[in-house]
Amino acid sequence: MTKNDDLLAALGRFSEPALHILISLADGPKHGYAITQDIESLTGQKPGPGTLYGAIARLEARKWIEPLPVEERRRPYRLTASGQKVLKHRLESLRTIARIGRARLAEA
Amino acid sequence: MTAPRLLRLYPRAWRDRYGDEFLDTVGQEPLQLQQVIDIVSGAIDAWLSADVRGTTRASAASTGGVTMVKSVSVCEKNQTRYTKRDGVVGAGVMLAGTVLFVLLAAFLKRNGWSAAAEAILVNGYLVAMMLSMPFWLTKGQPVKSQIAMIGIPTALLVLIAWINA
Repeated sequence: MTKNDDLLAALGRFSEPALHILISLADGPKHGYAITQDIESLTGQKPGPGTLYGAIARLEARKWIEPLPVEERRRPYRLTASGQKVLKHRLESLRTIARIGRARLAEA
Repeated sequence: MTAPRLLRLYPRAWRDRYGDEFLDTVGQEPLQLQQVIDIVSGAIDAWLSADVRGTTRASAASTGGVTMVKSVSVCEKNQTRYTKRDGVVGAGVMLAGTVLFVLLAAFLKRNGWSAAAEAILVNGYLVAMMLSMPFWLTKGQPVKSQIAMIGIPTALLVLIAWINA
């Protein structure tokens, strides 16, 4: 596990929703509602609003995402450079885990 | 239970920062039980998490215009809300409450109520801490919010202690 993985894991029960938010923002800024819809289409599960904004506040505190000016009562968020770095490391780590898991399944 | 009502459970700085977009995300549809639970646990998190409290106070101040004026006002209120005296009173209530619960537990144990004494010893500190919260953490918040944030968990702790006893 790398230092960046530790940082994401340190979010505890918010680490998975936070990862989903980072992935959702990877292709451009989105507001809360669009993030929710995007996560639902990615994972099949819609994050609850309490969980979503708990994760957003934590990502903002770490400057992994940043808010943009409000557009029609909706505030979009975008991924920062450090957020991209954390996301990239986490996805690399997950790819390694998936590769090992597939290899072990093939051996069994 | 509607989303705007549940939103009142959140700290004022949180509502100023995320309230509008939160309601927009929830939408107009009736809330399901799972959503209600998620929103209530989000409110507890918003009160207790240093990360969330820090973000709602600091980042709102950098968004400019009316929001900045509002959040500066909130920050000013928050700065004056917690005085040294509040800290001392809060700590005093917590310590005095804990001592009283320990004494009560000792009295009960002497009189053969060992299970009740143990339940009070286990939960006494937590209940004392919750009873001290109106003097510091939730000071200045609406009474309904304080009842929801402090009264209900305290009542649950007492209930759990009573069942265990």
